[in-house]
Amino acid sequence: MNAATETDRTLVGRVAKGDRAAVRLLFMRHHARIYRFVARQTGSEMMADDIANEVFLELWKQAPSFEGRSEVSTWLLGIARFKALSMLRKKKEDWIDDDDAAQVPDSADTPEVVTMKEDKAAALRRFVDALPEEHRTVIDLAYYHGQSVTEIGEVLDIPVATVKTRMFYARKKLGEALKAAGYDRGWP
Amino acid sequence: MSAAEKMSRRDEMETLLPFYLNGSLEGAELEAVEEWLATDPAAMAALGEAEAEFSGTAAANEAIRPPADALSRFAKALDAEAGPVRAPAGQSWLAKVFGRVTAMPAGVAWAAAAALLALVLVQSFEQPGGKGNDFEVAGAQDDLAKLPFALVKFKPDAKVADIAAFLGQNGLKIAGGPTADGVFHLAIPASTAADYDRLVGLVAAQPFADTVIQGRKPVDGG
Repeated sequence: MNAATETDRTLVGRVAKGDRAAVRLLFMRHHARIYRFVARQTGSEMMADDIANEVFLELWKQAPSFEGRSEVSTWLLGIARFKALSMLRKKKEDWIDDDDAAQVPDSADTPEVVTMKEDKAAALRRFVDALPEEHRTVIDLAYYHGQSVTEIGEVLDIPVATVKTRMFYARKKLGEALKAAGYDRGWP
Repeated sequence: MSAAEKMSRRDEMETLLPFYLNGSLEGAELEAVEEWLATDPAAMAALGEAEAEFSGTAAANEAIRPPADALSRFAKALDAEAGPVRAPAGQSWLAKVFGRVTAMPAGVAWAAAAALLALVLVQSFEQPGGKGNDFEVAGAQDDLAKLPFALVKFKPDAKVADIAAFLGQNGLKIAGGPTADGVFHLAIPASTAADYDRLVGLVAAQPFADTVIQGRKPVDGG
């Protein structure tokens, strides 16, 4: 079995035995997605950089206790989510400096104004960005990270029914924003 | 089915569509979505809208670019967390050098092998009687150290009797070794480069020879 075909779980097993090459391989496989997940959670790429690094150091430390009940990607997203929330709680609102604020989606404009110069795809992307964090996170986890309802529940530590409720309202808001911008898709 | 029930079903299906698209839906929910897609005229349009959301979300995420030096910084942080890398147990310094020499081009390997042998001999002669834990050097009267040589590693399943018979038939002698990892210094009693090449080639061709590196070779006309 070469490195390319080794499963994430096999690699975590190697990490548990102190194999640094294995943790670097997992880093290469998952870092970009973890980084993006945290960046969109916090609105700060600086925080995403720190937290994504911490996630993989945590992987190094916690690998011996990984029981394999969830996918490695789900496990890492859960660690990232926990660390992001912890850091946000610690910093509360004063972490947003001028540089970071520029990266936070600007929801001051109405969808109508924004979409005047945009096509539907660009508008949709902006509406996704402008969703409330709890809704956008569910959208990101399903569409970008490929997580199931159950896995999203694990990452966010919420019941499956809540995942579905958030998905319903997230998609409903996207539909309403599109409708307001002149793109009626027939639902809701 | 009432309008309210129909709407409720539509809401449920719309909620499940993202999971249908990412392939994580299964069981009764998967069957329900597939049945809806097959029977409701509005379903395929809804699927197209969900696909657009899929693309938009992917684009929004992919627009975020992680720093290019993330891996190197993580590697440093990992070293700080875990401490210095330990060498694998049971591998001697000589074995490591031998391993590197085997990976070198032939021309470079000769010089490296000569340097390696010099170190081996110095170390062995410093020990009383020329005996040590890792290797054994033949008697000084044989003056084997002055002979042309090659470094040889035998296969794990090689039989001592076969090796001894071959060496005896060809006038070859083991002048040192083995190291902890089975590297022998083989004296090659050749007076010409051609003779040396023939003998070393003969050693390399034996089924019990794993690795053979050329060492000091006779200089013709010298």
